Formats: sequence, structure tokens, C-alpha cells
Amino acid sequence: MKVLRITPDRCTGCMRCELACSYAQTGTFQPARSVIRVSPFEAHTSYAPYTCPQCAEGWCLTACPVGAITISPVGAKIVLDDQCVGCKLCTIACPYGTIFYNPETQKAFKCDLCGGEPACARACPTAAIEYVEAETADWLGAFAATRAPRHLALQVAGAEVR
Amino acid sequence: MMAKRHVIVGGGTAGLNAIRTIREYDRGESKIVLVSAERPYSRMVLPYYLGRSIAEAHVFTATPARLAQLQVQSHLGRRAAGLDTAASKLTLDDGTVLEYDDLLIATGSSAVKAPVPGAESPGVHSFWTLEQARGVVGEIRAGSHVVLVGAGFIAFTLLNALLALKATLTIVEIAPQILPRMIDQPGAQLVEAWLRRHGVAIRTGATLTAIEDAQGQKRLRFRQGEDLLADVVLMATGIRPNLEWLQGSGLRVNRGIRVDDHLRSNVGNVYAAGDVAEGLDLVTGEPAVHAIEPTAMEHGRVAGANMAGRDLVYRGSLLMNIVGVCHLDIASFGAWDDPTAETWAATRPDRWAYRKLLWKGERLIGAMILGRANDIWTTNDVGMLKGLVQAGNGLGPWKAHLRRHPFDIKPAFIASGTTARLLPETILGRPSVPVGQVV
Repeated sequence: MKVLRITPDRCTGCMRCELACSYAQTGTFQPARSVIRVSPFEAHTSYAPYTCPQCAEGWCLTACPVGAITISPVGAKIVLDDQCVGCKLCTIACPYGTIFYNPETQKAFKCDLCGGEPACARACPTAAIEYVEAETADWLGAFAATRAPRHLALQVAGAEVR
Repeated sequence: MMAKRHVIVGGGTAGLNAIRTIREYDRGESKIVLVSAERPYSRMVLPYYLGRSIAEAHVFTATPARLAQLQVQSHLGRRAAGLDTAASKLTLDDGTVLEYDDLLIATGSSAVKAPVPGAESPGVHSFWTLEQARGVVGEIRAGSHVVLVGAGFIAFTLLNALLALKATLTIVEIAPQILPRMIDQPGAQLVEAWLRRHGVAIRTGATLTAIEDAQGQKRLRFRQGEDLLADVVLMATGIRPNLEWLQGSGLRVNRGIRVDDHLRSNVGNVYAAGDVAEGLDLVTGEPAVHAIEPTAMEHGRVAGANMAGRDLVYRGSLLMNIVGVCHLDIASFGAWDDPTAETWAATRPDRWAYRKLLWKGERLIGAMILGRANDIWTTNDVGMLKGLVQAGNGLGPWKAHLRRHPFDIKPAFIASGTTARLLPETILGRPSVPVGQVV
């Protein structure tokens, strides 16, 4: 099947994918509702987008107590809005953190590969995100690991540790 | 050769997942008989029916037509009454005897009321089965004063529905804090403050001594403090596995039916799954009764695969819970309350955020995350914490990082290669099939 292949070294952190995704998914530009999320590494000197790997288990799919998650014709795990009751079980079953809950609609939401024409891949100006025939994979692990030493030296403000 | 005869006792999450999994493998070749006291439904979604956000019809997980399509012979409305494991015969409450080649016990659990005088009187409800839910739905009106006895996970799943019905709500809990078995004290304080802000009265450390009739209302008496008058009393004071009917069966029972890594009991052709089963815990490797929906689902699938002739080893269940109240979400994973674990917690009171991480060496073995729904879901952290506990990989230098920055989960998850460890993992050793696409 075709998957979103992510080549993090090409990402410039322009965030166009998040805007395109939220627009395609919700009709509005609100990155908080994007299901692809760009993470900064090394004090915002490098970036990488992260989204659902469409895993073989489909932890979200098997967790759903009412069968509201299925597999679309393009192979994406998708939420059927009219079936979803908003119990959030899928969001804790997914070990990748790539299915979310929208408190306004009270439904789960996730990457559906835009039905086979992913907006993020189309919006990406550097081909860091491509929609290609491939096996799904851990696209970011090696990239992030090489940047780990600098990230580990960082201080992130805002958390009070007891 | 005669087709294999499977008998499934219990039509809840575990039983239905077993049925679907058997059919994924054999496409209808074997004989499946389902014995279920109730029509199959999802207990998980009953609170949404209570809150009127879904119709009653939405709770059913298999219609009679669907069961027929799956070639399941059903004894609905019947209970199992006795099991003769030596003869491989199951007796039902109407005297019917069913012979089996293998049997799955998935009889679930029942609500237990606090043992106080008046607990069994009309107007004092449990909310566990569909029938009980129906009883409660008709009772609650706008302005009803509902007293919820017990402040555990089950009680909390009802809060949103009760508030949506515009009931006035008081929670009473015997422990000194709410959610005593789910979150720790600092987390509980945050949740209590949040609930009070949303008009919910809370009385912790309150020992209920009696429930009396009081002119159409109920009077709740406590060891200390004032009485409470309630229009409706809901008790969510615990559950116990439905095991009574197995007395004398020879099955090894501890807190639940002890099962091995194939979900098999001490009797080779008898399996158990879900709330009645005491199976392996993924994190501790010890037997445990989780009594949660995801464990029932995985148990059912693994038992089903083995009943269908596979030799499928189950690594164990991961304890997990999530509950939201007034758009504050609380999730916990794994050994979130292990007193022997190395533990730290952090709060961001301005954001109603709380986080707790528990460690054995460099492995994250438990986690708790609490935050507002419109905040918590802007990150990938909820699932990633589950992923880190599930993968169980050593996090090396990221552990020290997470001590300083417990809210910086994502780089730790990604850079430690957790995705690569998780991607090959499947429960059945192959990709999952959506429920609608079986047979």
C-alpha cells in the first residue's frame, strides 16, 4: 500500500503540512487539529513531521468497543464518525500517540490519508513527506537519535518537578 | 471428521472477540454455540446512552442477524449453571446440556453494592448492565439530586452523562481521595478542584452507614457528618467476577480463573477471558485481574485464535484507563501505583496538568497524565506514554531528561527508536481485521 514516507532531513519546519492537514480534515486552518505534527529538535534548528504509521495491529481499531474504526480502501485506519461515541479508548490503546479526541465534536480523529490524496504530502515544498508505495517504517528514529545529545542538553521551561 | 464444537459462555467483549477471531481463521467450518444471559452489547458505551448522546440501539455489538451471519448458535437469556470439565459438558439454567470440544468462560463481572442497610431498596441503583442502565435512565431528570456512592473509575464514567442530564451531583467516597485506585493524591486534588469548579459536591473519607426512605427521597447516613437527601442513589462501589457457577468444576481460581499464556485454564480444553480471567500482566509478568475493556478484547482474540487451532502466545495485558470529566482527561498506564518503583511527578497548576512517571531501572513501567481535553490532545503524549510502557525499552539518557522535563515525552519516544520496536508487534501475529470485515 501507499504510505506517508517521511525524510526528516528534508524538513525545514515550515509547518505547511500542519496547516494543509487541518484544512483538509476540518475545513479550517487550526494546526491543533492537524493529525500530522512537526516536532522541533535541537533547539529548533531541525524539525520532523510525525503522523500515524498505519500499523499492522491497528491498536485503535481493535480497541474500539463499537467497531467505529475500520480500514479504508487505501489502507488507512479511519474513524466512522456516526459510530464513534467518543469514549477515547482508541486514544490510550494507540502506542504511537497518533489518534486524538476532539472535545468539540466529541469524536476521535486521526490520519485517514485524505482518502488517498494526502494534503500534507502535497503541501510539503521539500518532499520531506511523500505518498509512495512502501512498507511503513520508523522514519524518524535514526534522525532523532543523532540529534539527541544536543536535545538532552536543553532546558525546557515551564515544568515544575517535585 | 466431525467439526470442532466451541462453546462460548458470555456475549460481552471477550466472548464476541473470541467468536470473531475463530471465524477469521475458519470462515465458518467449526460449530460455535454462544450462551449469554444478555444480548451482546458494549458496557463501555452505556454511559453515553445514559447521557442521551447515543440511542439504546447503538450499544449492541452483535444483532441476531449478525450472529447468524457468523454462524453462531445462540442461547440468549440463558445462564450457565454448572460445568463438568471431566465430561466436557456445560449445563444451562433451563437444564439444557451442551457438549463441547473446547469452552471459553467469559462471564464477566457484576456490580457489588456497599454492604449497608437499604442498599438493596428501590431507588438505589448499580450502573453496570444494560438492564440496570435502563432503570437509571428513566429516573434522572433535570434538577434531580443524584448521590454517587464511590468515586472510582466506573463512577467517573457516569459523571459527564449525569451533568449532561442537568442533575445536581454529590460524590461520596470512603477513601480520603477520589479515584483512589487510579490516581495519586496530588492528581486527585487537581481533579477535585476541577469538579468543584463545575458544580459537583464531593465528600471524601465518608463512610456510608445506611440508606433510608424519606418521603419519596433517600436519606444517606454517614459515620460522621450530615445526612444527604437524594432523589437517586447510584452505587459504584466495586465489581466481582461472575464465578459462583463454577464451584466444584475443578478449575483453578484465585481472584479470577488462572490462565496461562494461551488463555487456557488448568483444564486443557477450557479457556477463560476478560473480567473472570486472571492472566499475565505485561509489565509485571505476574497474574492479575484487570477487568478492563482492552484486556477483555485481547484475551478474547487470543483465546479465539488458540481455540481455532493456532498456537498463539500472549505476552500479557497492559493496564490502562482513561476517563474525562467536564473536559478534563485522566489517563493511566501500567504499574502507575507501584510503591517499589522509582517515581516522580510534575504539575502545571495553571494548565490543570499533572504527570507522573514510574520506573524500573531505565524502563518506564507506569505513567499517568492529566490535563484539559483542549490541551492534552494537542500533543502526542497520551499514546506515546502507553507506547513507552508497552515497548518496555531502556530509555538510557532520556530517563534523566524526563526527570528534568516530564512534559517532554515526544523526543524521548522518537529518539529511543520506540516506533521501530512497536511496528512489528501484533496480537495475532498478523494484521488485524476490522469487525465488519470478518466473514
